[in-house]
Amino acid sequence: MNHGCARLAVIVLAAMVIATAAPALAETRFVFANESPYDTLDPHAVFDVGRVAVRLNLYDGLYRWLDNPPVLHPWLAESHTVSADGLTYTFKLRQGVKFHDAAEVTAEDVRYSTERIFAGKKGAAALLSTMVAPGSTKALDRYTVQFTLGKPAAIFLAVVPEIHVVNSALLKKHEKDGDWGGAWLVSNDAGSGSYMLARYDPAIGFIARRFAGHFMRWGPRYIDEVEFRHVKEDNTRVLGMIKGDYQGTGGYLPIDQVKRLREAPNVKVIEQESMRIMMFQVNNQRPPLNDVNVRRAISYAFDYDGFNKDILSGSVERNPVPIPNNLWGVPRDVKGYTYDLEKAKQELAKAETKVDRPLTVGYLTGFSQTEQAATVMANGLRKIGIDTKIVSELWPAMVERMKKPETSPDLVVYWISTYYADPNNWIGEMFHSGQWGTFKASSFYKNPRVDELLDVALRSTDRKVREKAYQDAARILVDEAAGVWIYNTKYFGPWAKTLEGIRFSPIGNGQEMRWVYYTK
Amino acid sequence: MRLLALLLRRLAWFVPTLLGLLAITFVISRVVPADPVALVAGETATPAQVEALRRQLGFDRPLPVQFVTYVARLARGDMGTSLYTMRPIADDLATRLPATLELTLVAMVVSVVVGIPLGVVAALWRNSVLDHAVRVVTVSGLAIASFWLGIMLQLLFAMRLGWTPLNGRLAGFPPRGVTGLFLIDALITWDWTAFGAALAHLALPAATLAFPALATLVRFTRAGVLDVMQSNFVLYERAMGMPHSVIVWKYILRSALTSTVTQIGLLFGILLAGAVVTETVFDWPGIGTYAVNSIIRSDYNGVMGFTVWAGAIFIVVNLLVDVAHTLVDPRERTT
Repeated sequence: MNHGCARLAVIVLAAMVIATAAPALAETRFVFANESPYDTLDPHAVFDVGRVAVRLNLYDGLYRWLDNPPVLHPWLAESHTVSADGLTYTFKLRQGVKFHDAAEVTAEDVRYSTERIFAGKKGAAALLSTMVAPGSTKALDRYTVQFTLGKPAAIFLAVVPEIHVVNSALLKKHEKDGDWGGAWLVSNDAGSGSYMLARYDPAIGFIARRFAGHFMRWGPRYIDEVEFRHVKEDNTRVLGMIKGDYQGTGGYLPIDQVKRLREAPNVKVIEQESMRIMMFQVNNQRPPLNDVNVRRAISYAFDYDGFNKDILSGSVERNPVPIPNNLWGVPRDVKGYTYDLEKAKQELAKAETKVDRPLTVGYLTGFSQTEQAATVMANGLRKIGIDTKIVSELWPAMVERMKKPETSPDLVVYWISTYYADPNNWIGEMFHSGQWGTFKASSFYKNPRVDELLDVALRSTDRKVREKAYQDAARILVDEAAGVWIYNTKYFGPWAKTLEGIRFSPIGNGQEMRWVYYTK
Repeated sequence: MRLLALLLRRLAWFVPTLLGLLAITFVISRVVPADPVALVAGETATPAQVEALRRQLGFDRPLPVQFVTYVARLARGDMGTSLYTMRPIADDLATRLPATLELTLVAMVVSVVVGIPLGVVAALWRNSVLDHAVRVVTVSGLAIASFWLGIMLQLLFAMRLGWTPLNGRLAGFPPRGVTGLFLIDALITWDWTAFGAALAHLALPAATLAFPALATLVRFTRAGVLDVMQSNFVLYERAMGMPHSVIVWKYILRSALTSTVTQIGLLFGILLAGAVVTETVFDWPGIGTYAVNSIIRSDYNGVMGFTVWAGAIFIVVNLLVDVAHTLVDPRERTT
């Protein structure tokens, strides 16, 4: 090696040492490792948990879900009124609220945002358009916006937080070919949220700086800069938390990874019961599953404790009904099914339709827990004399299969997450026959009485009436074994030990950073 | 002249080859029983709402019409937009290309610089302890799964020893550079700290990616050298009293490299088109991870965009391999 090469090698080594021994992050900086990519910043294009950090930190809505159980708090709106017929919702906006470019948030921005959601036909559009017709939202004055519903819908207010308000003037400036500023907004920020975009790289994630002018006053302690990165591998996220590269990551890790994190001296794991039910959708239309006794036999054949307590080490809560345990509307007297092979055999004997073919049990490729659940189910069914064929599909392929009763597997296991904290998100969207064709309703259940109860619950604005209707519907569904409900997920959120103020909500998963601060 | 004719012949095949590849990928991606439009429309979308979005996106039209439209757009340099991000595919790929390019180049340099000499040494000392040790390395390189190797390297060098970063291209976001290749950008700006940081981040993923490629090159070089060593011209050069090092490094190696050059080209193409596992383990924001996400979500235009990229890379690399063959092997120029 000549002297030049030697010198270069020394320089390179020295530079590597300097780089790896870089000083620790400033106290007011926070890095979150997220399993989903931040491939768009448009708050109206997505309606998922994976990219919720964009919506909660860069944008505001009229109302906001906070805490667990989630409670709706007035946010951009000071208050709202509902007309006697339940069709007209009028929101009064706070005055003086600023977007990141200092323009004032007005009722026109709310109207524009609502119409933009409809035009894009993505994100919350499908849900909103079942209640509000495009073009019907009105800005009555600078600070008053009015929504007119086609028919009474008690869940409207629960969905309102998903109307993330964008800066209409800014978007109109960047509009191209009538795209509502879509091409620009995928990589930019037009919000009024607690943080404003500083850097964005779709291959990495985004960095946002604290918006000092946010209408909600800041406490004495806060984080100045937050960075949300996409880190796909569970193992890499966990190692990064242990190493201190990240100060937070998603709370739905495999339990063995949670154990590793609990042993790390610099990590604390926040435990909360979430609202994410794991269940088997049972294809109620296809024989022999159209026989209630066969369905009951299946419900008795699943080893709930074996799965929840042994395989998942008790990291979940048994949830025997199609509404999360920790939400209102649950009939507390219903205990649900237990693993009882004798009762399963008795139900099978009573069935008028005989099980004369193997049942297909579907799970999602890449989600090992669904595979384990499918295997446990197949094992239970084999013990009562029912053959099974386990099939797996990637999520897009499974969604395609679940569109029709003829193509959907006999049983499919997956989770129903929280999009809005109302029982309708689970029981209503899964078991009302009007929902057939959506993946949530892939049990293809049809019962006029249940439809009627769910309609009552959806129309009424009286919480007591709604609660009773959901309880009654849930009782019928459990009795008829319309699905197999296994557990409600627990959130095990790994955070740096020095962080405080984290406010977990099943909708935001603790990723709203305005509350969070370092203790030292 | 022969080289020029070869180039022209290969270039003439470029378009039909790419068209064939596009047609196959297009059909496969569309006939797979998956409905990305339903996913984009959202979990609460009714069938009518999904169909409305399908019409808006143009996916309701007959497949041949969609294909012709796609190819016509591609001819104008438009690879379409992602179903999920609504960002142009070309922009998405361009954003990620420097990361993959840098990783692949470094991995290939390591493989070539280490692999070829190791192959020569193993051949010269055939069946010695050294040869056996090299064989252990090469068999390991071919047998060990990349994801396992990557995780083990992370555990050892990043977690236990703390010598390297765990993942990513840089801590935080990269500086706005000129080429997007951080090593080059750091050199251009004379920023040694950034250069070291980029190199430190590259160390583990490049090693993971280089190991199997290195193993392949060692084996091909060793076999090539052993083969050439038996040639009459080597015997003649030895008889003429030529220095051993000259015979080995100038004559034997040059003749033995023909198959190795082919392998270098193919490996480079494979790595450039999809270092998927390594990119995933090390959270490397390159083309490979983009392809995986597109495939999993059936993002039609994303899948097609990646295919165009990978196909073009393979065609170009094959062309370069042929050119390199002609340059390395004089017989190719005269026959």
